[in-house]
Amino acid sequence: MDLTLAIIVTVVGASTPILIAALGELVVERSGVLNLGVEGMMLIGAIAGFVVQFHTGNPYLALLSGAAAGTAASLIFGFLTLSLSANQTATGLALTIFGTGFSALAGSSYSARPVTLMQPFLPVEIAAHPIGKVLFGYSFPIYFAFAMVVVIWYFLHKTRAGLILRAVGENDQSAHSIGYSVIGVRYLAVMFGGAMAGIAGACFPLLLTPQWAERMTAGRGWIAVALVVFASWKPFRLLAGAYLFGLVMTMELYAKAGGGVLSVIPSELWAALPYLATIVVLVLISLRRDASTNAPACLGKPFLPTN
Amino acid sequence: MPYRLELTGITKRFPGVLANDNVTFAVKPGEIHALLGENGAGKSTLVKMIYGIMQPDAGEIRWDGQPVTVSNPKAARRLGIGMVFQHFSLFEALTVLENIALGMDAKIPARELEARIREVMTQYGLLLDPHRTVATLSVGERQRIEIVRALLLDPKLLIMDEPTSVLTPQEVEQLFEVLRKLAAQGCSILYISHKLHEIKALCDTATILRGGKLVDTCDPRQETSRSLAEKMIGAGLRDITRAEGRSIGQAKLVVSHLSTQKAGHFDVPVDDVSFTVRTGEIFGVAGVAGNGQNALLDALSGEIRSDKDAISIDGQGLGMLDTTGRRKRGLCAVPEERNGHAAVGDFSLSDNSVLTARDRLGMVVMGLINSGAAKTYTGKVIADFAVKALGPASTAGSLSGGNLQKYIMGREILQKPSVLVVSQPTWGVDAGAAAAIHQALVDLAAAGSAIVVISQDLDELRALCDTLAVINMGRLSPARPTKEVSVEEIGLLMGGVHGATEVHDAIPA
Amino acid sequence: MQFRLEKRREPSQFMLYATPVAAVALTMIVGAIIFSLIGYDGLGAVREIFLTPLTNAYKWQDLGVKAAPLIIIGVGLSIAYRANVWNIGAEGQYIMGGLAGTGIALLTYGMTGWWVLPLMVLAGVLGGMAYAAIPALLKTRLNVNEILTSLMLTYASVQLIYYLIRAPWKDPMGMGFPQTRLFSEAARLPTIIPGTIVHLGVPIAIVVGLVAWFIMTKSVFGYRMRVVGAAPHAARYGGFSEHKTIWLALLVSGALAGLAGVLEVAGPFQRMVPGFPTNYGFTAIIVAFLGRLNPLGVIIAGIVLAITFVGGEVAQTTIGLPNAATGIFQAMMLFFLLAGDILIKYRVRRVVPQPQAGAA
Repeated sequence: MDLTLAIIVTVVGASTPILIAALGELVVERSGVLNLGVEGMMLIGAIAGFVVQFHTGNPYLALLSGAAAGTAASLIFGFLTLSLSANQTATGLALTIFGTGFSALAGSSYSARPVTLMQPFLPVEIAAHPIGKVLFGYSFPIYFAFAMVVVIWYFLHKTRAGLILRAVGENDQSAHSIGYSVIGVRYLAVMFGGAMAGIAGACFPLLLTPQWAERMTAGRGWIAVALVVFASWKPFRLLAGAYLFGLVMTMELYAKAGGGVLSVIPSELWAALPYLATIVVLVLISLRRDASTNAPACLGKPFLPTN
Repeated sequence: MPYRLELTGITKRFPGVLANDNVTFAVKPGEIHALLGENGAGKSTLVKMIYGIMQPDAGEIRWDGQPVTVSNPKAARRLGIGMVFQHFSLFEALTVLENIALGMDAKIPARELEARIREVMTQYGLLLDPHRTVATLSVGERQRIEIVRALLLDPKLLIMDEPTSVLTPQEVEQLFEVLRKLAAQGCSILYISHKLHEIKALCDTATILRGGKLVDTCDPRQETSRSLAEKMIGAGLRDITRAEGRSIGQAKLVVSHLSTQKAGHFDVPVDDVSFTVRTGEIFGVAGVAGNGQNALLDALSGEIRSDKDAISIDGQGLGMLDTTGRRKRGLCAVPEERNGHAAVGDFSLSDNSVLTARDRLGMVVMGLINSGAAKTYTGKVIADFAVKALGPASTAGSLSGGNLQKYIMGREILQKPSVLVVSQPTWGVDAGAAAAIHQALVDLAAAGSAIVVISQDLDELRALCDTLAVINMGRLSPARPTKEVSVEEIGLLMGGVHGATEVHDAIPA
Repeated sequence: MQFRLEKRREPSQFMLYATPVAAVALTMIVGAIIFSLIGYDGLGAVREIFLTPLTNAYKWQDLGVKAAPLIIIGVGLSIAYRANVWNIGAEGQYIMGGLAGTGIALLTYGMTGWWVLPLMVLAGVLGGMAYAAIPALLKTRLNVNEILTSLMLTYASVQLIYYLIRAPWKDPMGMGFPQTRLFSEAARLPTIIPGTIVHLGVPIAIVVGLVAWFIMTKSVFGYRMRVVGAAPHAARYGGFSEHKTIWLALLVSGALAGLAGVLEVAGPFQRMVPGFPTNYGFTAIIVAFLGRLNPLGVIIAGIVLAITFVGGEVAQTTIGLPNAATGIFQAMMLFFLLAGDILIKYRVRRVVPQPQAGAA
């Protein structure tokens, strides 16, 4: 029972940052922009969150500063790709390289200095019972992630603003000719994606490892990008995908505990598993007949009004 | 009564071009006013300024007698100006209802909007299911969405930009009924076109533009097609000289039971198409856009491969060959899309010659490109086809549409192909260039090549082709000598299956 | 005062080559300002990172050794990116090249003969190619995005190093260190200038760049890459199959990354260690862009990036600048370069506000 409990709690913790980052990227991609800098924005959010948590001990402030830092980083991307129509793939890669360097520099004086992990969101009493702990024993970001799945779904499909966002991603020239500001909508989407990636990054020191480590997001930002494809750009499928990955990432834990054949597998293979699983998942999704029909038609293409 | 819309001295400059030069005219309430001119005459620029997409550099716009600045399309709609674009501003993955909602500035609850849409649809006989995804609709149906969207705003002026270029003659008649009904209710209509018979049939007044300048404002019903055409084009019209003594010989290109796979969501494949083109013959394929023309061209050019014997030249099957293999056997092709398909905009013309002429003209030696040969050939194309370009080093993207088309046609024709397949040879090309291209095709046929022309322009096909067939939903009608078929027959063939599906899918009133 | 972008009739050749130079210059200026603002010796940082490696002749051999792998990988990437094939897993292909070479070196341990080294190089090239073949296969067969697959494979390949050097390939005399034994003499890359660390990989890098330049500008292969990248639809019309191009792009870039990997392991490292992945594969992305995807430009860009690596180490010891600063300078260069790209096709015009009189 304790083991099951521990596993569930670990899976939830591992899934949450991926889910939050992927939700942000989903909105960005629905507006027709491919930001491959998620990993970089997450790292910038992670260091911002860490530093604020270290100095203030207020995890909510830490999450907020993660969001602010992620947004700021996304604005570099936005300026280059939206205002200057730079190549989105290259700019996203540059942002990741930048985020890696920036976070390493900013974090260089914080090595081996622990912070406190974020405490459960709801009163401890509720979390006393095992069932209560599984359902209510988590800190704020876990519930935030779930809530955002619903909010983003509602926004995209039930609100006018969401309709406009989808329209911009579907056919930017048409949206422009009707009179919508394609660049404006995309800036907002990119900034939202940056904020979400920043929050996701801040989750690493707040939920997972309470200290600073260079490249601590370890490619999770890229997995988030892959998940958006896996989810066919749909929020609820993203939820399923993120938890599936949380499971894969923590598999080593219960394999070791379970003993038997699984514990013979070298730990390096377990460490490589999430990345290999990403490839497998991408392959599986591509086998579906409607694989790419749901992709926003303008994804990754720079917008320049034709007149 | 004041004019609904008055333009005075409107001028718009682009780098290197004066798109509109001091244009002045006015539209009365309830008037159907034609804006007539060739491609590039400045019609589109002018209406974009009326609709607020662009701003004039100089001049005044008055609306109901008051001077106004139309700063954006939203402001235009607020004034009561609606517009139906030539290239629809529709979102294929969204539904009819969502598309219309996007075009509305006021926030209307979905249910109420749907009720109003149904009301407008029944009033004007524009039947559509609001919940269908646009991707599943025909071109004619898509245009209805645009019209409904404009009508929901109760416009006082409706701008129609080349609305009939994608419609069958029967659909055109239906559209005219709607427009006449609207005008009778007091809505002004600004009707942009270069099709003279339509303007004579529909419009009360015609304003004619040429090279950005206003040439004349007249009553088109009092004019002959020839006089209108001369005003539009300027110098006297030039007719194609059919080479005397052009003799049609033996079967050259034989297509038998050619079918393609559905490639994408929006693709219309060709379905069991058979026809024969003889030496010296120009074979025309008519049809409304989106009925399998692209698949037909790709299948003939080799971009889509087929069974070996589905396509043969002189009895030799070449369906399994790619474009390079077919070019070596004498089959050249020109697709409809110039920039990005027939040519690479960022490449020099010389490099663009390497794209299709490298094997037929020996531009490749042991895997290396002989750039001198490419340059010489490109220079010849530029000279022989009067391409306005600085030289072989100019990028394709720097050429105007008409000049690029002349270059592309020249590049293929000077390779002396025994079979040439071209799609929309004069789309968006000015009259002078169009005449030159037509002449080059006739001359190539006279020299003994078999030519296939795929076009949506019936006038072009009737002037150019010896034989005609119509493509509809991927199927090709039996070929008939051009002299023996009437426009009405072609129209029915073009619309055939289409009309039936539309009635079937229409919503109950 | 306002500015407006205006499309040029022809792309500017001047801007194409001026913007990378301007990007480097801007990086130096802006970098100096930013690092001063956050409390470092900004001017010193720029001087040590960009100038010391050039002025100090003793550092030149380091430059050559660092530039070689960057150039070799960068040339491969520039070919792939030309064709719009986004292989960003060069680091993984570099690792696989290094591992394949290591495998041969360990198999032939103790043997002598001229054939050992060429065999290792062949294995390295094939190793990189094979690893790049996975994204190629998935892209052409199933249309799986090559960016994600090539990158995920990089993360996996790092784990493969760890596994191999901790278990089957571990040095028996290594006192428990996770590393392989030192390669025997025949499996080590010879130095070409006695008394320095400049190894055979340096001239190889230059030759790779020159050959690639010739192929890309003069051959049908180069034409194929350029046309598929510029207009895939036109490429198909011209008779160039997109699938074949994707295969070629990935195999060539993978082969060159693998070559760089095997040269690194046989040259500077001479054994496989956990620190073998040095991010050359990622930095080479910047090299490819800074070199304008032109192999000759890549040679220069490879040297520029090598300068920042060597200079970064200098700055670390002389003025205490953290090593991560190098990454920031490199990313800034790429940002400025991408920002400048718009000047190739557009010109900036100053819009003088016109008097409103007479206008409605």
